[in-house]
Amino acid sequence: MSDANVVFTLFFVLRQEHLERMNGTMKRLKFSKEKCIGCQLCAQVCSAIHEGMYIPSKARIGIETYYDRGGSLKYKDSYCTLCGICFKNCPTGAISKDDRIKVDYEACTGCGVCADKCPKKVIKIIEGKAYICDTCDGDPMCVKVCPQGALRFE
Amino acid sequence: MVITIKLRGSLIKYFNGQREKTIEVPLDCSAEEALKLAGIDWPKIENFGFVAINGKRVMIYDKLQDGDELKAYSKISGG
Amino acid sequence: MLGYQNNILRINLTKKEAKTEPLRMDWAEKYIGSKGLSIKYLYEELKPGIDPLSPENKLIFMTGPLTGTSVPCSGKLAIAGKSPATGTICDCSIGGHSALKIKYAGYDAVILEGKLDKPGYLFIENDKITFEDAAELWGKGSHEAEAMLIDKYGHDYSVISIGPAGETLCTMACINSDYYRQAGRGGMGAVMGSKNLKAVVVNGTGGVKIPNIKEAVKRIAEIEKEDTLQEDNTFVYDGGTTAFLEACQDGGILPKLNFSDTTDEDWTKYNGEVLLESLEGKRGCGSCGLGCGNFLKMGDVVCEGPEYESISVAGPNAGNSDPVAIVKANQVADDMGLDTISAGDTIIWAMEMTEKGIRDFGVRFGEMDKYIEYLKLIARKEGIGAELALGVKKLSEKYGGEDFAMQVKGLEYPQYEPRGSWGMSLAYAVSDRGACHMRAYAPNEEVFAASIPPYTPEGKGEMVFNLAQWNAVKFSLCICDFWGTLNMELMAELMTLATGKEWTAADMAEVGTRVINIARAFNQREGFTAKDDTAPKRLFNEALKNGPGAGQKIPEEAFEDMKQQYYKVLGWDENGMLPESLLATL
Repeated sequence: MSDANVVFTLFFVLRQEHLERMNGTMKRLKFSKEKCIGCQLCAQVCSAIHEGMYIPSKARIGIETYYDRGGSLKYKDSYCTLCGICFKNCPTGAISKDDRIKVDYEACTGCGVCADKCPKKVIKIIEGKAYICDTCDGDPMCVKVCPQGALRFE
Repeated sequence: MVITIKLRGSLIKYFNGQREKTIEVPLDCSAEEALKLAGIDWPKIENFGFVAINGKRVMIYDKLQDGDELKAYSKISGG
Repeated sequence: MLGYQNNILRINLTKKEAKTEPLRMDWAEKYIGSKGLSIKYLYEELKPGIDPLSPENKLIFMTGPLTGTSVPCSGKLAIAGKSPATGTICDCSIGGHSALKIKYAGYDAVILEGKLDKPGYLFIENDKITFEDAAELWGKGSHEAEAMLIDKYGHDYSVISIGPAGETLCTMACINSDYYRQAGRGGMGAVMGSKNLKAVVVNGTGGVKIPNIKEAVKRIAEIEKEDTLQEDNTFVYDGGTTAFLEACQDGGILPKLNFSDTTDEDWTKYNGEVLLESLEGKRGCGSCGLGCGNFLKMGDVVCEGPEYESISVAGPNAGNSDPVAIVKANQVADDMGLDTISAGDTIIWAMEMTEKGIRDFGVRFGEMDKYIEYLKLIARKEGIGAELALGVKKLSEKYGGEDFAMQVKGLEYPQYEPRGSWGMSLAYAVSDRGACHMRAYAPNEEVFAASIPPYTPEGKGEMVFNLAQWNAVKFSLCICDFWGTLNMELMAELMTLATGKEWTAADMAEVGTRVINIARAFNQREGFTAKDDTAPKRLFNEALKNGPGAGQKIPEEAFEDMKQQYYKVLGWDENGMLPESLLATL
């Protein structure tokens, strides 16, 4: 290998290790469904903080419980796990990721690829922009109001 | 004499999460005296409810007998 | 004021028209929302003397300024109308998520007027309102109807429905939502059925604005942690209302065998410990912090519940200690769209009538298979159900047994024995919708209290007034009962945060009193007076045999004295009526 190649490979390996170390100690949202009472306070405050009013249809989290035909209790647990799949698939580079997802709204075209690929089905495209959880700058409001501690950030 | 005190509702914190304790009390002790000995100063507890001896509600000043079970409840509202 | 949508959806079912109009903000300033505001609207809009099952009656679904905000326990919906069971005003409070959906759809309230020409359901999605055909749903249980509608529209939608009991205009019919939540008392389901309305399907994607929302959200979160979630309230999450069973057993107010005695030595066979062994999950309403709902599965019996009322009426009060039968009775009542309290009380009265040989209704204490069968017959008004659907007041007027027909004004007794809690006999007598435990919850002050004697009339008028005032304003915000430590100061702070108008604790108390008064004014206009604030003679004539209240019965003079105390506190006359000067302030 040439010197340039060695340097390049070394750089790439070190960067990977750094990212994996970061991912290992990085805080993410965690959800315990046995504690969830389906109150949706999470979506309410998420939207209140980001949109300036209580509007859960625009929240960046979607946790609900419902009765399936009255016979069993089901959970919809749409919350961002920082898997990064949206970031990896964004065709315009509007999405960036370190310890949280950030969306550059100038670059976002509302193409919807992120929402399609999101394994937790939590990304919404509203009025041509991607609504993605930003962990409230590392101090998620949803975790603060979750009454029974079903949501944690650790 | 020896009695058992059982706690209900938010009073459990006064026994550090335990729901019951057996304690020694003097003869002719009243429910409120027994609670005080166990560390429960009932007039100072805002949501203190009621007491029952052997599964029957009594007034706080009613007397206990040897081997009695004294239950203390916090208030609960709703229905 | 913020918090409100300032928008009412008025539906004329006869003409199949939907219109919007501004909220009467001047009324909201006096009555706030939910309970108080819905009663005010009905007081102004209903002519006295109408038939509650006629198209002239109105059914109001009313939210409050806190609905849809992150104030904990603010997700209940008031459902109000003139009651076909009593002829009084009746407001109920239903849980689930429909209150939030209505508010997010952009409405403070939905007012239903007139009558559909054939069975239908109403579809509301933001400003899209359509009148749909319900031929396929009519006749079906509430659970199946809700499942069919959710299959069609999806889980984002909330369904408010009636069961067969509402369709047959049974005056014990309730309104359901989220399968297991009810607007239980007073026959509101029959009002909805009389309008040929099987269901309302609603979703909303709009929002609710409050001032300085980012700071407010933080302050409300603080209140949630420091007050709502303190240990005095979290018994709700731990066991729900099953916690009342032990307290009522020890307190001597758990009724047994149609209120003929109290305390049941078998109570540990069906108590919270036993029931919660079958717990599948916990559930709360929208914006709840406490999650009282216990979702149970016992074999093929599935139910969110049973609540204390339903446990008692199908348990010791029916001479039964089998927990599976209790849960099954709850599941069937919910599906049939029947109030567990009224239907249960009617069946256990029929049990006593049969046992005493006064009239054979074909059912005796402990016969739970029959009890469950009778729930279905009552809902469909078939066989013996056609008679039993009349309720204990009309039945006892026909056949005797009036002394132990436990009801006031035609609404059957909740499950607290008044001889063990004398103030409760007053609370039941003067409640605005007939015998109700949700207006003044007397046991909390007299029985679950260390030093207030339950077996005396002293001070009970003031005690019941204070409790009724507290609940009246609380249910006008609306905040759920289970936030038991909520006081006037906190309510004032929450109202100020949400609306941007300064509210004080004194304002809250004033609203509470005003709501009691306007409900009484409605009833007064319908012809109700002190002689209708009654107690069944069982309380006066028969002494309890067991429990701490053994030997207790309520002297009739003591009962009348408590009534006069209550009227005096409120400034009503000796006939329990508001003077002109007070009526003018409403």
